Amino acid sequence: MPPPLQAQRLLLSQRRLPPSHRRRFTPVSSLPSAPAKTLAPSSSILSIRESLLSGERTAAEITAEYLSRLRRTEPSVRSFIHVADADAEREAEELDRRIASEGQDAVGPLAGVLVGVKDNLCTANMPSTGGSRILDGYRPAYDATAVRRLREAGAIVVGKTNLDEFGMGSTTEGSGFQVTTNPWDDSRVPGGSSGGSASSVSARQCVVSLGSDTGGSVRQPASFCGVVGLKPTYGRVSRFGLMAYASSLDVVGCFGSSVVDTATILSVIAGHDKMDSTSSSHDVRDYKSELVPLDLLESKPLNGMRIGIIQETLGEGVETGVISSIRTAASHLEQLGSVVEEVSLPSFSLGLPAYYILASSEASSNLSRYDGIRYGRQVSADDFNELYGGSRANGLGHEVKMRILMGTYALSAGYYDAYYKRAQQVRTLVKKSFQEALERYDILISPAAPSAAYKIGEKINDPLAMYAGDIMTVNVNLAGLPALVVPCGFVDGGSAGLPVGLQMIGSPFSEGNLLRAGHIFEQTLQNISFVPPLLAES
Amino acid sequence: MLSAASSSTIPRLRWAAPRRSQSTGNQWLLLLLRRRCSVSSSFSPPLVTPAAAAAAGSGALEPPDVPRLANAARISLSPEEAEEFAPKIRQVVGWFGQLQAVDLASVEPSLRAGTAAGSSLREDRPETFANRDAIIEAVPSYDDPYIKVPRVLNKE
Repeated sequence: MPPPLQAQRLLLSQRRLPPSHRRRFTPVSSLPSAPAKTLAPSSSILSIRESLLSGERTAAEITAEYLSRLRRTEPSVRSFIHVADADAEREAEELDRRIASEGQDAVGPLAGVLVGVKDNLCTANMPSTGGSRILDGYRPAYDATAVRRLREAGAIVVGKTNLDEFGMGSTTEGSGFQVTTNPWDDSRVPGGSSGGSASSVSARQCVVSLGSDTGGSVRQPASFCGVVGLKPTYGRVSRFGLMAYASSLDVVGCFGSSVVDTATILSVIAGHDKMDSTSSSHDVRDYKSELVPLDLLESKPLNGMRIGIIQETLGEGVETGVISSIRTAASHLEQLGSVVEEVSLPSFSLGLPAYYILASSEASSNLSRYDGIRYGRQVSADDFNELYGGSRANGLGHEVKMRILMGTYALSAGYYDAYYKRAQQVRTLVKKSFQEALERYDILISPAAPSAAYKIGEKINDPLAMYAGDIMTVNVNLAGLPALVVPCGFVDGGSAGLPVGLQMIGSPFSEGNLLRAGHIFEQTLQNISFVPPLLAES
Repeated sequence: MLSAASSSTIPRLRWAAPRRSQSTGNQWLLLLLRRRCSVSSSFSPPLVTPAAAAAAGSGALEPPDVPRLANAARISLSPEEAEEFAPKIRQVVGWFGQLQAVDLASVEPSLRAGTAAGSSLREDRPETFANRDAIIEAVPSYDDPYIKVPRVLNKE
């Protein structure tokens, strides 16, 4: 059976280089109409699917290749708290057996695709720690819905990725287990809290990964690690099985090395789930099929699109290298036919304290379930209160304790009006200002972080300095909007520069629009490759 | 799910530390417990009542009392740890205070983003969870069919 039409067109746009010269993620357009050489990423999911359908490669071979790269890079990057290599190999062999006996029918949409799963998403019978010692050894009784849907589509979960404990942090240094490094420079952070999910895709240890985003935890690491990161609309993806941090802000998000792969994952994990009462029944599209291949793009593919660049994100406190990358990206978007104007969002700066009040308050409630009684680590005690107090003191990390205490304070009788209620009012203001801006513009753009990846240890003792870095991302969570981060440039640092990502924000459930624009942007970027140098050494 | 405490009829946690002053609208239940607790002191300075705080302006909000908060959050902190946390928490809470200066008079609070609209109800029909064994296996101290814990109340 010939591959579907879209796939055929994508194939034609890539000149096949002889195997000895072929670098996995650098297709070259052979059509005369295309300008200079493009290093834009192609779809790894698609190329795996092609290989399995044509018989060119087996699932076992593909898995072996990824696992070998994982083992080679892990001592330096440390993306994974748990690697399920034996299970992955077994599942790949099983898939090959089914392909041998059933043919095409055995190849689901994500067959043979290796996925990393952030360790705050439950995976049945696989350790799930949430990055915390209090859940050391815990094996959930069920898969998170997002994980289950990936598995049903044929994906292979290769391991659980490292994170800041329960999602609280922006560097992954807050993990109770290990520090993950940035594949672009091992003295720097990968970002957080989904640092391991971002670094694992960046280092090509897996094809795609799942993360979670409460205040920027998918978007900022995507920017720091030079990969695509998507934060869907609140309610787009079920939160069932995601260990709750702040229930009104948490979403499950995903990472890929290309916009196409990210779009493919979204279609699989999105949709209503009766197990999550906040999940939406809004229809799920086949996002990938709406992405037009490079060779079929008209000369001004973003003609008619109105883009607002958020003024408050380009001023004081933002590194000049980041500002210039974003402005360059804005000109690129203009060249593609869009109109880009500066727009101001009033109440932008208030979002940050409001976010931390709401998130800490909700966390103080959500984390009360870690009591050492029903699961996880238990400290022995003679007295019931000591059992609680001791187990929690022993198992929970420093930042988590801080936020629980701050949240307990903000919710105390007499303080609710001063803090929590006021933060909710600020939330209304933030929602309104985004709504008004998105009536005038199709998408809003900004950096995903005020800097590129900083050094490990740099911000660990100054909480406010670390929180300040979230200014670009938290307002989007307060408003529940979708946002896509696409690598757009570099700043100096490391041996080959440090990546910078462009954040694109849309109105609720406009992921299709964001992915379309992001894909066009990515595919038309000239002479930039976002493959970290540590892979070139192979 | 959100434990938004307010001066409502929500009973206060039973094991609260003894208070030296109570506001009249307070309907909290208190049980005195003898605790062998490593928290530095059980002394709580008198609370500024919410009304007084509002009248006096934002500066009159009582700063965080870390040992009391740790007790409420059921996290045992040694005196040294409480010392370590206190300045950081005060710094962040001070930073939260900037919201006091904003005019929010006519603004409605938003409980959530509002994007996940529509009915969130399902049929009122119980279903059996298939993997009950895994749940039980995760319990640290299990003595079929009981989850074992130390004694709950100290007799006085």
